[in-house]
Amino acid sequence: MTISPDDDFAAAEYALGTLDPSERATLAARRLREPELDEAIRGWEARLAPLAEAAPALEPPRDLLPAIEARIGGASPEARGDATVVTLRRSLARWRATAIAASIIAAMLAIGFFAREATRQAAPREYVAILQKDAASPAFEVTVNLDKQELTVRPVAARAPPGKSYELWIIDAKLGAPRSLGVVGETPRAANLSAYDPAVVADATYAVTVEPPGGSPDGKPSGPPVFVGKLIPVAP
Amino acid sequence: MTIRGGAPGERGPAGAGDDLADLLSRIAARDAAAFAALYKQTSAKLYGVVARILTRGDVAADVLQEAYVRIWEKAGEFDPLKGSPLAWMATIARNRALDEVRRVRPLSLEDQPEGFEPAAEEIDPLAARERSEGLAALVDCLKALDEEKRAAVLLAYYRGLSREALAKRFGRPVPTIKTWLHRSLSQLRDCLAS
Repeated sequence: MTISPDDDFAAAEYALGTLDPSERATLAARRLREPELDEAIRGWEARLAPLAEAAPALEPPRDLLPAIEARIGGASPEARGDATVVTLRRSLARWRATAIAASIIAAMLAIGFFAREATRQAAPREYVAILQKDAASPAFEVTVNLDKQELTVRPVAARAPPGKSYELWIIDAKLGAPRSLGVVGETPRAANLSAYDPAVVADATYAVTVEPPGGSPDGKPSGPPVFVGKLIPVAP
Repeated sequence: MTIRGGAPGERGPAGAGDDLADLLSRIAARDAAAFAALYKQTSAKLYGVVARILTRGDVAADVLQEAYVRIWEKAGEFDPLKGSPLAWMATIARNRALDEVRRVRPLSLEDQPEGFEPAAEEIDPLAARERSEGLAALVDCLKALDEEKRAAVLLAYYRGLSREALAKRFGRPVPTIKTWLHRSLSQLRDCLAS
């Protein structure tokens, strides 16, 4: 094991949970690329995990299981036993009794899942990028799910200067000029990527610029990027 | 590297670990009935972990939901040689809770309304009646820490307190807390490895 003592402490504090948001985001990104760091974090998690046994149980809200089953409801049909079908049918009946809308959502989720399964390939489908000025100051976390053709941008430690907005851009030679993915604020938001070639999405540079409130008036970046990053695959 | 805390044979009382490991392997084969059974057996335990870190109930419920979706997705990665099923699941749930609480605007103890006293129910693993091998070993090592330093580690683990929150709590500067944590953690590591 060749991890430095500083990194080992960082790994320990990551597992304990005491790193501040930007340190935590940096380490989360680094562990994806650095197997030794990842192993150190797992080691610390394993050391501390028995503590969870001593946490007194608390009953969660009642309706959670059906909601979770709806989200995982697309279990592949060939591997699914009869018992599963019965469970799902029962859940569906329960939802119908309360709200028809819920079963429509469940159905949409199931269709989405099957569509996703059908297009599943060996290539990575999930990516993450930390947009930063330098290694010590991550500002935004960008995650991309190619199956959903969706990008989610989440602020880590960024606040736009007063009277200005941050705007996210996708930049790639194949696209020509930078294309806007919308204004990013203090809450996570999603952007649809269906207009872009997945190969371009995976390879592009993502950048944030400072713009007038509400975003660039002419669809072009008003200045140089203040935060940039590239996607790296998340282990499937 | 030896991971004593995750030693094989660490499992809950009355062989409950066997059942959970079995459920996880069925879940890895996409058995939704096994998933429902796992949820029934473990959700109160995991909610007990996340709800003490995320004191807002709606957020805690969302995080618990996401944690179980991950457990469903990653069940095949569970390795009984590296720890108990519950420890593995709790780590997933706790990590999700920490990601949530360590965001730009964390919903954490710092945002508690005045007068809220979380210390009212402090968790003391040293007083736990039932202990797995893993917990027993960890508790022995925790006992060797100074009382204040042990309390800091436990508040970080169970309540998700940040260094800043711990500094406030113990009336010490943040760098002191950092030193405490580093000393305590390396002491724990050496103790567990011995």
